[in-house]
Amino acid sequence: MLLVPLPFLSQGTYIDENALQPGAVNTYWSWGDVHRADRYLEGLEALRDNNASSNERADFISKEFKRLGLDASTQRYHYAAATGAIDGVNAYAVLSSPRSSGSEAMVISASWLSRTGEGDGTLNLRGVSTVLSLAAFLKKYSLWAKDIVFVIGDGYLDGMHAWLSAYHGAPSSVLEADSLELPSGVIWTALNIDYPGHSFSHLGIFFEGVNGRLPNQDLLNSFQHISRYTGGVPVLVYDHLDPRDYPGREVEMSNIPSWLPDFVKNMEDVQEYSYAAKNVLRHVGYQARGMPSGVHGLFHQFRIDAITIFAVPAPGPHGFHAIGRVVESTLRTMNNLLERLHASFFFYLLKGPTTFMKIGTYLPSAVLISVALLFGGLGEWVNAGWVARPAFPSDEKSKDILAGPTQLPLKSRWTRRSRPVLPVLSIICFTHATGLLLFFLLTKSWVLDHLPVMSPILFLLVSLLAPAAFFSLPSQTLPPSQPFSTILKSFTLCLASTVISIISVLNFSLAATLAVLLGVPLSMVAPSPRVFGRIGNYIGYITLGFGWLFFIPQVQKAVWAWEVLGIWFAPFVCLVYAPLVMQAAIVCLFTS
Amino acid sequence: MNIRHFLVLLVLWLTSSTIAIQDDPVEGFFNRYAEPGLPGNSASVHTNNWAVLVCASRYWFNYRHMANALGMYRTVKRLGIPDSNIILMLADDAACNSRNKFPGSVYANSGRNLDLYGENIEVDYRGYEVTVENFIRVLTGRVPPSLPRSKRLLTDDRSNIFVYMTGHGGNEFLKFQDNEEISAFDIADAFEQMWQKKRYNEILFMADTCQANTMFSKFYSPNILATGSSELGENSYSHENDADIGVAVIDSFTHYVLQFMEGINKTSQLSMRDLFNSYSFDKIHSHPGVRSDLFNRPLDKTLITDFFGGVAHAEVIPESISRASPSPSSESPEDIFQEETPSNPSPILSTNTTSAMHPLLHDLSTSKLSRGTFWREAQSWLSVVLLALLAGLVGFRSR
Amino acid sequence: MRVPLTLPALVVVRLLLALSPLPALLKWDHQLSSPLTSFVKLQEGVHLYKNGIDPYQGGSFYHSPIYLSLFSTILPTSPLPSLVLWTAVDALAAYALLCIWRARVGEKGRSREGLVVAAYLLNPYLFLSNLALSTASIENMLMLWVLAFASSHNPSPSLLTLSLLTTLSLPSILLLPPLIMLLLSSPLSKLKNPVWKDIRRALPLLAEFIVYEVALCLVCTLGSGGWQWVGRCWGVGLTLPDLTPNPGLWWYFFTEMFDHFRPFFLMVFSVHLVIYVIPICLKFQHDPLYASFLLLGILGIFKPYPTLADPGLFLSFGVVFCEVWAYLRHPFPTFLLHLHSSLLLPLFHHLWLGDGTGNANFFYASTLVFGLAGAGGLIDAVWAGLRCGVGDVNGKVREGMGVGREGREMGEVGGGREGEMEVDWEVIQE
Repeated sequence: MLLVPLPFLSQGTYIDENALQPGAVNTYWSWGDVHRADRYLEGLEALRDNNASSNERADFISKEFKRLGLDASTQRYHYAAATGAIDGVNAYAVLSSPRSSGSEAMVISASWLSRTGEGDGTLNLRGVSTVLSLAAFLKKYSLWAKDIVFVIGDGYLDGMHAWLSAYHGAPSSVLEADSLELPSGVIWTALNIDYPGHSFSHLGIFFEGVNGRLPNQDLLNSFQHISRYTGGVPVLVYDHLDPRDYPGREVEMSNIPSWLPDFVKNMEDVQEYSYAAKNVLRHVGYQARGMPSGVHGLFHQFRIDAITIFAVPAPGPHGFHAIGRVVESTLRTMNNLLERLHASFFFYLLKGPTTFMKIGTYLPSAVLISVALLFGGLGEWVNAGWVARPAFPSDEKSKDILAGPTQLPLKSRWTRRSRPVLPVLSIICFTHATGLLLFFLLTKSWVLDHLPVMSPILFLLVSLLAPAAFFSLPSQTLPPSQPFSTILKSFTLCLASTVISIISVLNFSLAATLAVLLGVPLSMVAPSPRVFGRIGNYIGYITLGFGWLFFIPQVQKAVWAWEVLGIWFAPFVCLVYAPLVMQAAIVCLFTS
Repeated sequence: MNIRHFLVLLVLWLTSSTIAIQDDPVEGFFNRYAEPGLPGNSASVHTNNWAVLVCASRYWFNYRHMANALGMYRTVKRLGIPDSNIILMLADDAACNSRNKFPGSVYANSGRNLDLYGENIEVDYRGYEVTVENFIRVLTGRVPPSLPRSKRLLTDDRSNIFVYMTGHGGNEFLKFQDNEEISAFDIADAFEQMWQKKRYNEILFMADTCQANTMFSKFYSPNILATGSSELGENSYSHENDADIGVAVIDSFTHYVLQFMEGINKTSQLSMRDLFNSYSFDKIHSHPGVRSDLFNRPLDKTLITDFFGGVAHAEVIPESISRASPSPSSESPEDIFQEETPSNPSPILSTNTTSAMHPLLHDLSTSKLSRGTFWREAQSWLSVVLLALLAGLVGFRSR
Repeated sequence: MRVPLTLPALVVVRLLLALSPLPALLKWDHQLSSPLTSFVKLQEGVHLYKNGIDPYQGGSFYHSPIYLSLFSTILPTSPLPSLVLWTAVDALAAYALLCIWRARVGEKGRSREGLVVAAYLLNPYLFLSNLALSTASIENMLMLWVLAFASSHNPSPSLLTLSLLTTLSLPSILLLPPLIMLLLSSPLSKLKNPVWKDIRRALPLLAEFIVYEVALCLVCTLGSGGWQWVGRCWGVGLTLPDLTPNPGLWWYFFTEMFDHFRPFFLMVFSVHLVIYVIPICLKFQHDPLYASFLLLGILGIFKPYPTLADPGLFLSFGVVFCEVWAYLRHPFPTFLLHLHSSLLLPLFHHLWLGDGTGNANFFYASTLVFGLAGAGGLIDAVWAGLRCGVGDVNGKVREGMGVGREGREMGEVGGGREGEMEVDWEVIQE
């Protein structure tokens, strides 16, 4: 898995879809349009300075849209989640395709809050004014084969989520939103503009969506191509500046550990490795949690390929002029699409703006671990069924079969090795039920509000439940106890392997993380001969499985993401990951 | 006038007429390659020119293929082939595409100097009519009787045909609208059928696709001259983009062929050899191919206008033939009429049958709907009761 | 009519599940109901029928006219009553399985009757199909009753039920040969009494079946008002007009195939189903119930429009043959294969049709894994069945096997539960 960032495993990006034709057009976005954007910006800044309410902002924006002659409207929404209520108002406008039926649409959006710090309050004023002035500019053309929908979402993720849910008619129990007055066509692609600073040096691509879905790579590559050749703006993955672009400052900017000798730090390959590793780690961080890395990610749940264009704040040299041209050209490219982006261009690891890894190259790293776990589990299964008792003639093995734990064997020369599956299965069910209970409690507002108090209580509860399950096993089965622990271990390993290999297709980062977290600990787990060893191991495993309860803000955020955005990271951890580790912890309790 | 005079006259007339009868084929044979005013044995004997121009692609990003075909169309028309003799097969979704910044126009160069679409375009097969089947039918003449004349290739054994194809191809095939494909064998067989049916004198086949030279590798019929844009395993490239249209506007090979053609007029004496000599890898970025082994005139004696231009040679047909030929057509209406008469009662009969065959249609009509549903209900209840009876019977028996 | 307590308890659980939002989510699922068994299609057909339009004239209704008659008269088509009806169907099916178990094992297996019922009612393949209101549940129920009647020597009801089942779903007719054998012998494994001694006794049974079948065809024709149902309902399995994806192996082949090969491969696929019948009946003539069990497994894999309910029936039916379990060679890998494929199927289905990141090949790959899982189980079952018979021939150590072993296994047999599809096999060791 450590090999993943190596350069020789990657390949250059290319564009697969013929229809896209990126960067083949002249752009007409001019300084006049930049001036218009500046004027909008002034208006927005006035709103900011007056502490305008969501309603006022949305009114202002929709009024501006209407002034341009576009159909515009606002949408009010309210979330009543256990994690707290959220209100807001979205504004949006539809530019109908002048010469076609408008059965398809593309979206240009900006949220009120920038993605900086995952919505920590930085305003995206320039992003919003870019969208407004683009609306004025794009209206002049008659060559749009698709409707263009301009959306200004309130808040960070919440506004756009409310808009998209209403657009696609996906009801949610926690969301109350106005239905949309202006209809449009099927959305295939969307661009989200995030421009928090005064000016920018690079455009960064953010692409991870809800539950780890990625947009089609053609979209990223086209944008990258256009930005570089039409706009003259270098492109980054995320906001990671490539240290090699700054001669003299490489060492200071890179994340290579400083204790390494200088000649290692200055090696080209090491620098490339560290840059790629940084990108991949950031990617895993978003994808494994299923959190979208920007507003674009919300589009993915409705099968829309979308990215966020993030203007990396810097003193210069680019501004409205560059971003306008790049977006104009990208829209022309998106306009050329004749069908949804297809091909198997959805599975990739982006290691740099122009290098990526295909699924066939990175998938083995997780699947190998999963297969190893599977074989480990099968091995344990065989161990559980066969015990070398030298007293018995080997030819009887095939026939001697079951000797139930509750009954005496009919003939004593048969080996008494049996696989007590039923109790073990009940332990497994019990652990998953515990996870379910835990998840149920976590989504209750009275638990969430007092999480600092509740999480130690929950942790204790869980860690006491496991021994309870253990001691509730029929006691007479304990003397020949080895099959119990081996069978439990075998089942745990097989389940973990199944989970990892299945998840790897859906969300590779999550699978890789699980492979790391579960692979070695589950394979190593074994009953210890000493009491202290057993207790120590047990506590270790329980901490591995439930220690996250103490990261209170993360827990709250994950639960919020589940309730509001439908991201199944939180239930997954509670229902799949934690029970698996808990099973391993129970294995520790057995005497060897 | 006595009998002797009459006999002499009769003999004279007979001899002269027999000589005339024998002379025609003989003269035809010797004159086959000898036209007045041209060096013997090399001039074409064709009397009419036809062009079949096929753009096998559709969709906006294949704009250039539309432009290729339209460029050829413009050239052959300029050199004198009338619209009635041009079969243009074109998806025709570029000019009025909603992505086209210049609606109603198709340009083949980046300066947009010349609108190829213009006002005088006659597309014979448009959109989804551009299929492999229609193409083969056009070539071989196996068309339904209802097909209008403008969609037919009405050639004879004195026709020179220019066949131009463009689109996305591969080794021995050419895709038609991303849906089906024609193979080199299909075209070769179609040409052979044309030859056997005396539907052509000579053919110039030109293809601008990837690996275009494979398209004519399977030809086996005589008098075919073929040329293509690229070799096996080689792509054909587009020539240039227009940055406002936003897509490539023409392919390299066609571009340079058309450029060469711009220097040709109806009386030009330039030969096919000159055209083939103008090919250059530096400009086209692929290796165009020529196949002339089936063609039995020297290339430098074959005029470009033999295929691209329209000839005005007229041939005098003997009166007797010209009188005889229309007779079958004059008879045919009667036949048709006679055939029709017995079929008169059939409409009545068929209405009867339909009413008998489709009682459900009647059920559908509003007046009978309630009765229909009632009957339906009765049916279903009856079947359920029967089912229950059967079950009861069996249950009773097995008790 | 004594029934283990598990049956009512699980039925109550099932009714509670039926009230959850689950059925509404499941009823469109391609893996749980094919066009032939979909409840939505049935509703549509019944609606057309009630409004005086022949549903067989359209291109989307393939259910039998018997369903049409029943659901337009005495049975409900609105969701809630239907859910109750379907639960009742499953309860009846579980009871039928119990009857077979009693006929096969007798009083000795009494203490495990609860587990037998649970194996049917908790099999996720079966109860999810049932919640999706797939008519496959009804067909499974009838199939179990066919065998239950036969096991208790009630030839006429058994044959009538089979003919009814055949009108509902044509491939079931393949079960006729083992059924007749079963009626002529007993549901127990008997090596010493070959059935074929008096083959002539089979003829009246066959004739009786034909009489029933003809009568039911007439009922169908009467109900639907014409013979069109034959082509639409029986023909659909042979001509495969509807290529909606399902977990079987047919649909993808025929989406990819050139049209001119279609008739040939349709014939190959159909004949392929038939060729197993005679070898299996010959090989397992000492145990016709086992032969029909194996044929159910084959149908579950190779049927034209299978749903998860078909392999599910095979797996749950396997519970009855407890003496064979011991001979299974690889129950655990089979269980893992089933676990993988049953997770992969919905996942790839979602990637293809929901997320749009995958394509049909993904789903097809998962149906192949599913087919592999089914085939693994089937081959293991054939092997174990043969091995069991060989052991008996050699006369080794088989004294009281049926009794003692079952008694001993009792503590270990797991009922099905969440996530375990193969309750019957995974439990047992080699």
